[in-house]
Amino acid sequence: MAEPAQGALKTSHDGRWRWRPQWTARMALIPAMTITIVCFYGFIIWTFVISLTRSRLLPVYKFTGFDQYVRLFANERWWTAMQNIAIHGFLFIGGCIVFGYLLAILIDRGIKAEGMFRTVFMLPLSMSFIVTGVIWQWVMNPGLGLQDAVRELGWTTFEFNWIVRQDRAIYTLAIAGIWQQVGLCMALFLAGLRNVDPNIWKASRVDGIPVWRVYLHVITPMMRTVFFTVFILMSAIVMKAYDLVVALTGGGPGFSSDLPAKFVVDHILNRQELGLGAAGAFVLLCTVIAVISPYIHFELRKARDGGGH
Amino acid sequence: MKKFSKVAALATFLSAGVSVGALHAQTAEVLHWWTSGSEQAALGEIRAAFEAQGGKWVDTPIAGGGNARAAAVNRMLGGDPATVFQFSIGQQLRELADQGLLADVNAVAEEENWDEKLPPLIVQAAKYDGDYIAAPINIHGENWMFYNKEALEKAGIEVPKSWPEFVDAAKKLEDDGVIPIGLGGQPWQERILFNSVLLGVGGREFYAKLYSTLDDELLASDTMRKVFETFAALKPFVDEASPGRNWNEATNMVIRGDAAFQFMGDWAKGEIIAAGVEPGTTVGCAFAPAIDTAYIMTVDAFAFSAMDSEEAQAAQEKMAHVMLEPDVQIAFNKKKGSIPALLDVPGDSFDVCAQKAMATLQDKKTHLVSTGLFGVPSAVSGAIDDSISNFWNSADMSPEQGQEEFRQAISYAK
Repeated sequence: MAEPAQGALKTSHDGRWRWRPQWTARMALIPAMTITIVCFYGFIIWTFVISLTRSRLLPVYKFTGFDQYVRLFANERWWTAMQNIAIHGFLFIGGCIVFGYLLAILIDRGIKAEGMFRTVFMLPLSMSFIVTGVIWQWVMNPGLGLQDAVRELGWTTFEFNWIVRQDRAIYTLAIAGIWQQVGLCMALFLAGLRNVDPNIWKASRVDGIPVWRVYLHVITPMMRTVFFTVFILMSAIVMKAYDLVVALTGGGPGFSSDLPAKFVVDHILNRQELGLGAAGAFVLLCTVIAVISPYIHFELRKARDGGGH
Repeated sequence: MKKFSKVAALATFLSAGVSVGALHAQTAEVLHWWTSGSEQAALGEIRAAFEAQGGKWVDTPIAGGGNARAAAVNRMLGGDPATVFQFSIGQQLRELADQGLLADVNAVAEEENWDEKLPPLIVQAAKYDGDYIAAPINIHGENWMFYNKEALEKAGIEVPKSWPEFVDAAKKLEDDGVIPIGLGGQPWQERILFNSVLLGVGGREFYAKLYSTLDDELLASDTMRKVFETFAALKPFVDEASPGRNWNEATNMVIRGDAAFQFMGDWAKGEIIAAGVEPGTTVGCAFAPAIDTAYIMTVDAFAFSAMDSEEAQAAQEKMAHVMLEPDVQIAFNKKKGSIPALLDVPGDSFDVCAQKAMATLQDKKTHLVSTGLFGVPSAVSGAIDDSISNFWNSADMSPEQGQEEFRQAISYAK
């Protein structure tokens, strides 16, 4: 928004008005801009306004100050959900990056049947989170899934009942989530690895540096932008996480695996607590901004200072 | 939409004095969330009767109660309301009425004397400011206990009449290798079990007073602690795979004899019938153990949007009339697994479980409301489910802590 207008208002050097290409570009941006301003910022403001009212089923504009926030912060389920998104975010993003990168490296080492492995790892991505949730719900169900199968084989004390345990259910979300998204991360990392200048490999071979050290000290720092992309993509998935938890655990047992998005949807749609749900949504947004923006800021500045790799 | 504006145009035309209005089919768009087989079949009875009386039915099914309610409200706010829509009666519906979005069906209700024939608690919930804003069409009971007769006989136990008896029976069943309680571990199912315990331990007066006042002292009382202790004592009688299980899977565990008891609403009968078993034969039905007889009611209802067109208003009245006709009530409720909302409808063609419920409801002291869809505001209802489910699934929470969390959750939500 800093340098528009001047180009548009200037007459061309022969003194006559002329349609300039950048006008077309700007015109084309108008719908997108309007949508962003109205649907994004407009609705954020609206949500905040609603959160200051005592709306239940319908929006009513009787303001009650920060009452809904007081109720929200007194709600144990909300704190469980917030704690869960932190745990889930850490495990899920961390898991996707670590496993995705390792898989990409393995494939990059020139494994046999590379195409097959790539397809196998990418396949889960073609499934929706709902389907992923249902599949893993069956696998992890102690009565009919993995636990039962292993016990049938003779190991009768085998236990894998995380999904029905209040203190473990949240980890099952990360397992199912990583399984689904690791393929995408692998593909991104692989693309990054394939972009590495072959001369670096030649040079390191000449110097006799072990392969793992090349990856750790040379390649990984070069992949900084890819890590950043993966982090942002996976963060977005964590913040939006709703369908996976609905299909996998339904937020249970109790509300032990609840996530903020589910809390908000439940309260707005099923419980007619529009005000409380809006307050939850707004707090979630603030939390996300507080956590993510320093990292984005840091990375972008680094990229700019470094001449934009 | 197109059809509707056509009808509206026609209605304006006809109201200019042409007297063929009665000949024209009255069109009603019906928005509902009944998408399963038995629900569709039950609603089909109403549809058939409505069409037989000259109405035209436009079906708008939307899967999922929450989605359907949201759709009904959104369409109303958007100025394109469905003529008739399924909704839960109680506070939310009154909020819609408060905004002038609903039509009343007082004319039909008066003519057919709903005030006298419906249970008073349901009358109260269906009214706003003295006007009927919904037609309650059935009564489901939530304090049922379904049991596998063979499993009980093998363990040598009678149908338990009190909760201590139940615990003893459950221990015997466990020794027999049968899961005592087939429970679907979802918050609303855990709440149904809890409310049965609450009624059984506290009695019907305590139950009614607790949920109608949501009084802090009652919530903190000794009776309530006993309820939580009894509830907690049931935890060991549920199998490990219970959390997340759907209610109908739990019903099938009882039908197969893997589990002995299920505490569930009478819609479970639909599943029993679908398995080729007549309710009351190999799978028995009894009220959950309690110190006095009571019936925890939940109600399905349809509401009517405020509409300008006289045609639509006539269709709404016809619908209200059809829905509560005794013959339709019988046909509909037999397929739905519920009992008629009108207490004077003859019950001899119903199964034994339904007959038992109908006989019970003749005594108005037995009438109680569920906390699911219509007894309490939905915010409270949700808070109840949350805290019950949290307590039930927690490995280390004491009954005192459960009771305290329950009290707090309700006081923040009400």
